Amino acid sequence: MIQPSYLNVFLTFAKNSMIRDMSFRMNFILQCISSLSWAAMNYGLFLIIYQFSDSIGRQTGWGESEFFIFLGTIWIINSLIQTFFMANATEFSEMIRTGNLDFALLKPIDTQFLISFPRVNWAQLANAFLGLAVIIFYLHQLLNDPSKKMDFSIWSVFAYVFFVFCGTVVMYSVMIILASTSIWMGRNQNLHNFWFYITNFYRYPMEIYERGIGWALWGTFTFVVPILVVSNVPARVLAQPLGGHWGLWDWTLATMSVVAAAGSLWVSRCVFRVALKSYRSASS
Amino acid sequence: MIALDYSGSLSFSNLAQTRLLACKHPIYNLAMSIIEINHLSKSYRVYQKQEGVWASIRGLFRREYREVQAVRDISLQVEPGEFVAFLGPNGAGKTTTLKLLSGVINPDSGDCRVMGHVPWERENEYRRRFALVMGQKNQLWWDLPAAESFRLNQHIYAVPLDEFDRTRDELCEMLDVTHLLGQPVRELSLGERMKMELIAALLHSPEVLFLDEPTIGLDVVAQHKIQQFLKAYQEERKNTIVLTSHYMKDIQALCQRVVIIAQGSIFHDGSLDDIIDRFSGDKIVTLQIGGPDEVFQGLRKLPNVLEVEPPRIKFRIGRDDVARTLSDILSTYAVEDIVVEDPPIEEVIAKVFTDAQGGQVDDESHPDIAGVS
Amino acid sequence: MDATHWYGRATLWWTFFQISINERLVYRIDFVIGTLMRFLPTLTQVFLWWAIFDAVSSAGSADSASGPDGKIAGYTFSGMIAYYLMVIISRAFSSMPGLTTGIANQVRNGEIKKFLIQPVDMIGCLLVQRVAHKLVYYLIAALPFALVFWMCGDFFVSGWPPPDVMFVFITSLLLSFLLGFYLESCIGLIAFWFLEVTSLTFIYMLLNFLLSGHMFPLELLPTKPIDLRGFVEFMPFKYLAYFPAAVFLGKVEGAEMWRGLVMEVMWVLFFILLSRWLWSRGVKRYSGFGG
Repeated sequence: MIQPSYLNVFLTFAKNSMIRDMSFRMNFILQCISSLSWAAMNYGLFLIIYQFSDSIGRQTGWGESEFFIFLGTIWIINSLIQTFFMANATEFSEMIRTGNLDFALLKPIDTQFLISFPRVNWAQLANAFLGLAVIIFYLHQLLNDPSKKMDFSIWSVFAYVFFVFCGTVVMYSVMIILASTSIWMGRNQNLHNFWFYITNFYRYPMEIYERGIGWALWGTFTFVVPILVVSNVPARVLAQPLGGHWGLWDWTLATMSVVAAAGSLWVSRCVFRVALKSYRSASS
Repeated sequence: MIALDYSGSLSFSNLAQTRLLACKHPIYNLAMSIIEINHLSKSYRVYQKQEGVWASIRGLFRREYREVQAVRDISLQVEPGEFVAFLGPNGAGKTTTLKLLSGVINPDSGDCRVMGHVPWERENEYRRRFALVMGQKNQLWWDLPAAESFRLNQHIYAVPLDEFDRTRDELCEMLDVTHLLGQPVRELSLGERMKMELIAALLHSPEVLFLDEPTIGLDVVAQHKIQQFLKAYQEERKNTIVLTSHYMKDIQALCQRVVIIAQGSIFHDGSLDDIIDRFSGDKIVTLQIGGPDEVFQGLRKLPNVLEVEPPRIKFRIGRDDVARTLSDILSTYAVEDIVVEDPPIEEVIAKVFTDAQGGQVDDESHPDIAGVS
Repeated sequence: MDATHWYGRATLWWTFFQISINERLVYRIDFVIGTLMRFLPTLTQVFLWWAIFDAVSSAGSADSASGPDGKIAGYTFSGMIAYYLMVIISRAFSSMPGLTTGIANQVRNGEIKKFLIQPVDMIGCLLVQRVAHKLVYYLIAALPFALVFWMCGDFFVSGWPPPDVMFVFITSLLLSFLLGFYLESCIGLIAFWFLEVTSLTFIYMLLNFLLSGHMFPLELLPTKPIDLRGFVEFMPFKYLAYFPAAVFLGKVEGAEMWRGLVMEVMWVLFFILLSRWLWSRGVKRYSGFGG
């Protein structure tokens, strides 16, 4: 059986996107600048907040340095999502509306793969670098702070990369599930909004939800739609808000992260398949 | 994440064999038709929008839908190497049939096999062996040179590199677009873009090709070029092509067999000449007559005179009357030349379509016909 | 201008208004979901600020009935949440999703020509369309809004404001609709000169987010090293979110409140005139280039 090389197809996608980006260079630069300034504003907000308070939540350990590592992690995951999937999810909705999904269905290659990767939005990668810089800076601060008991080694870095990957997979799955719903709704103008609103929950340390009805959110977004795990697990590995020792809870969360990645990917595939069954191919 | 098809290496040789054979005499030729459609039906639910603000607000809570039967119990066989045209008015169900054949949509009922595969199961094995070109949509990357999109298809269809290069060069040469390969698709003319679309679809040497209005919106020269190409390509490769088109020229030039679809059903299946025989009982006669203009006075009285332009006169006449009328005329007038021809095909087809629409008046009034499956 | 002229005009607008409403109602699921989603960020804001106030408050006060007792820039925890809720109201009036890019796209793909040929005014059309969309939005959003505000009633410690404040509040909301509309129209019209306004829109969005008080109460803005707090007073942005909310919550009172209202009227007038000017210059330029 002849199999297409998924790697080759992906590399062609990446290359084609690069060619395209480079033929609109001005646009590329503007996109970089705008996403960087958005992050900068985000940073500014928390700088202001840390003027008034030295921690988010009492005794949660999310002081300034720890929190900015958290923020950097958010930027990296968001940036990966926007680089690799955001445009494609939007395009997928658009393909459903215009009927261009027909072409994707014709190709002898996994359809979900084909619609997930065609565009790589290289400009959005800028924020990942910014996030990386912020993380390195604040990690350096933490490591030089004798009052923090940091337990940092090369393994922390590996673990961090691994959990960021798991998180990205979860976010990707959520996005594909959202985008698939356009098959039923006809138009999904709210896809972006919806995405924005859902990701709103994962932008802060999960401790802030640990009160009152917050527990309901905490439970939902940890176990049902596990987006809190996405950001919190990798950020905790590096920032270690409560010191370097991993307790039972940390291990649970880490396991959750892996389970969530595999589980959500599986769910996304199911939803995608069911959605395709309802596709009716708009006539031009 | 990636659904791999674990069919193993055994089927590899099978496929290679089929491919090889398919070029000359497909193996399934002996056993069955390459396309078999049995009682295929497909209907759409369309949201019935009411006029007015209050109706819209009501629509928020309760919606009315209308069932549109796009394809109605169609059965059809196509043999390997045939070049078949689907002809029909807009909304007749031609495109829906092609979409069903290519597995893009699922039918409500009925059965279909293309090269032994059920299209809507969308097996990779099947998808590698056919192609669909839609004149109204494009699959090429808008901002990139066509060459890059071709390369992508090479990877997706896993076409061996040397074979890919050969096919591409050959196709580009046939369509005379080699010099345009490096230009972004958005800068190409409609005709050039269509040629590129065709190439993109043919790079993996599909055994079955579905063409949905491939010449729509093109000028006469580009239309002609694409017709010629398709003819030459089909003669050389002997693959099976199903085409829908509005242009009779396309069909006259290319297809031996025409399937007329109207209101979702097959109305006629046969050659173009059959259509004329079946649906037009008339012939057009043109006479050239010597002598003074006065002689035309008598002829003007004939029924259905189309044109009088001395020394020529053109009239329409029932097929059965041709012999009698002509012998009458020949005995009376000094006829210098006679041409007897069929009415223009467009006219016949238009009549067929009108008849078809007249035959089945209203979808909704026949719930049994438009029935939900 | 005779009566029939105005009558004709009115019917034209009315028809257009109806079409816009219809168009809006078609995508209902989107709509309801979209409305409910709007409150989700506020929910996270509540918890974020709860945690922040928690850290600056005395021990044990966080889970008491009135919430943590600390203050940030003059805001208590309830005050902060009430502020964010009121900002949602302001934004329901002043935000104009898709307006800028809509105008820019029309200019770019030449659809604008129809406004040059037909005797209708584009900005007017868009305004009617927007009013229709907003009305439909309020119609559907009223219920979820009422629900959320009823549930969050406890955050509004001082209850309803006096009538004069209420008047200024409502007026400032209506004005913020006009301000938002004309301000974004002006940005869209810049497309006559620069075809690629996406980046411009983005900068506007960023400034709006930061300087309108959408992100946080303007009192939080630093005065040193740059006096951002003073700077926003001279910008139109604060009327899009901060001002109505601050009026309602009694953060801006008395003479200052009335002065703010007058300033808002001035800004509205300024952008109406600017949009007219940009439109006439733009059209001239457009027809000069032959489309």
